[in-house]
Amino acid sequence: MRIVILASSIYSETSCAAAVRLADAGFAPVGALTLSTWNAKTLLRKARQWGVGDAARYARSKIAPERSSAYRLRNSYLNPLLHRDGNLFRNLRQVASAYNFPVATCGDQNAPSSVAQLRRWAPDLMIFTGGNILRQPLLAVPRLGVLNAHLGLLPEIRGMSSPEWSLLTGFPAGVTIHYMDAGIDTGPILRRCELPDAHVCSSLADLRNRLIAFGIEKIAEVVSALEAGKIAATPQPETNGRARPFFVMHELLQARAAKRGVGRPAPAETVSA
Amino acid sequence: MATSNSNFPSRGNAIFRTLSEAAGVLRAPQRLFPLIYRLASDELHRCFEFRDLYSYTKTVRESDTVLNALMAWILSAQRPDGGIAAYYSLLTGWSASYPEVTGYLVPTLYDFSGRTCDPRAASTAGRATDWLLSLQMPDGSFPGGLHGTESRPSVFNTGQILQGLVRAAAETEHAKVQQAAIAAGEWLVSVQSEDGSWSGEAAYQNAAHSYYSMVAWSLSELAAQSGDRRFALAAEKNLDWVLSYFRASGWVEGISLRGHPNYLHFIAYVLQGALETAIRLKRNDAIEKVDRSAWALLRKFETNKNLCGAYETNFKNGHQFTCLTGNAQMSCVWLRLFEAAGDLRYLNAALKMNELLKQLVPASGRGVAGGVAGSYPIWGRYQPLRYISWGCKFFADALMLEDRMKRSLDRTASEELACAS
Repeated sequence: MRIVILASSIYSETSCAAAVRLADAGFAPVGALTLSTWNAKTLLRKARQWGVGDAARYARSKIAPERSSAYRLRNSYLNPLLHRDGNLFRNLRQVASAYNFPVATCGDQNAPSSVAQLRRWAPDLMIFTGGNILRQPLLAVPRLGVLNAHLGLLPEIRGMSSPEWSLLTGFPAGVTIHYMDAGIDTGPILRRCELPDAHVCSSLADLRNRLIAFGIEKIAEVVSALEAGKIAATPQPETNGRARPFFVMHELLQARAAKRGVGRPAPAETVSA
Repeated sequence: MATSNSNFPSRGNAIFRTLSEAAGVLRAPQRLFPLIYRLASDELHRCFEFRDLYSYTKTVRESDTVLNALMAWILSAQRPDGGIAAYYSLLTGWSASYPEVTGYLVPTLYDFSGRTCDPRAASTAGRATDWLLSLQMPDGSFPGGLHGTESRPSVFNTGQILQGLVRAAAETEHAKVQQAAIAAGEWLVSVQSEDGSWSGEAAYQNAAHSYYSMVAWSLSELAAQSGDRRFALAAEKNLDWVLSYFRASGWVEGISLRGHPNYLHFIAYVLQGALETAIRLKRNDAIEKVDRSAWALLRKFETNKNLCGAYETNFKNGHQFTCLTGNAQMSCVWLRLFEAAGDLRYLNAALKMNELLKQLVPASGRGVAGGVAGSYPIWGRYQPLRYISWGCKFFADALMLEDRMKRSLDRTASEELACAS
């Protein structure tokens, strides 16, 4: 199966880990399309998102790790995938070089030139690990579709801050592997998986990191199942527009979500089991 | 907000008023510096401030600090006659007392007083009520416009003042206040049309308006307090009429202000009035309709990080300024919907909206500190260059509601922990 990775940045740990995991499963990507880290648009976006000071620190962090021997992954759950033979994959180019696939960078994944590049790779499947909101011309490129590992159980937990909303609403934390369509997390579902032992996470960031690693595992499983023809997508139930998405959570609710769902001891029956 | 003719002038009147306001700076040149400062400040803010996905997710200013500043502004807006000024203009200073807003500020003052045990807020409410009683006409109605500008009865102003009278009667148990509230209610019932709307001479521009749902809310409060079913029936009749203007997209028709866009303030009025009436009358069908409109605006706020100052049909072609009062009212609507249905998305949006508004309340400046501007930027189309008392009122309401919701969340969390242990 011809697979292409869509990444938000060449330094994205999630994208690197997904590429490695798929390659290990026998599905080495045929290409990766990533947003350019250094274009003005990206830096402006980061400055808007975090403020100028944090954006400058972000920019510096993209240079320093390349030279620092003390470099550590932000998501430690990806260590087993990104540490190989005493070396650490620090960016997508290093992964590409190890597994022999090309990496293209762009300012906008939906731009005609990006779509043309993707068509040249003729993918059966694309794996979305970050980037722009995808438009129809891009979604139509792969033969099967674009897969996403959403960090919440669909259709109930749609939209942003999904792990946090799962905790706050008392819904199980998990991931959903689904095809992307023009809506927000509305595409057909391939697999819904609850995260085992979600309550043992030490913080919201820890839960998010675990879900990312869990999602990469599930993506690999789904790709294998697709290759073997053992899985079919199920359209999400028609909800007459009532399945409303969640949006970025205010810090006050985040604190309550954290209190509610993380760092608690496991329930007695789980421990004894 | 005023709906009297004096506050919505014809073009000729508008030009005259603009010139007259501008002349205010000539009369008091010292106002020029704060004016220039505010214009420059908003321009700089607009150029360098970013709106993005993560805007307003963090608390930059404490809600209590801002609430105290808002209430200090309201207390300072009380005129010697006991009424509350409509606005502080950067050109002309404080306006005359404004009966309509004075009326519906009374519940806010009592809420704040109850929350902080601040006797000044309660005494301000008491003086305001006394002043209002002195304005009541023999038929029970109240006049429109700023104090001294109009003598014709006004449905909307009477309805808004009624809200204050009902609350003052409950707080003080004075028979004369209760009688005044009943008289106002009876007048409103007597001039209501068969279909449940209010039109004719006592309505603004002689037309029926869906935002008169605020009048229905006051009547429903009066019904609950007095036990008189006539008022509940009148409120329900108007609610049914207003609901016929809700569209599938969430848009509400029937605001019908000739010569003015559909300011967010009026859209929010329709929703707020209908929601509060529906809650009071236990009309779940109405709550569902308001929910659809409130959600449409929530999506716009969450995706654009702002709401437009005015919209055209189906929330299209938003005007590029912010109506801060409308924003504060939407925060109140979202918080009340959260309270009614428990959907945390509404609470989340309201918390973020309040963060946005808190950052736009000036911390210093005469007549300005603790005030809520009509528009952001200050030269926007809605009440330009003014800090308006009803903006402070709705934002103070929103912050007090926010506090109540936070406390209820804490209680729920404690109960859950207690159950778990």
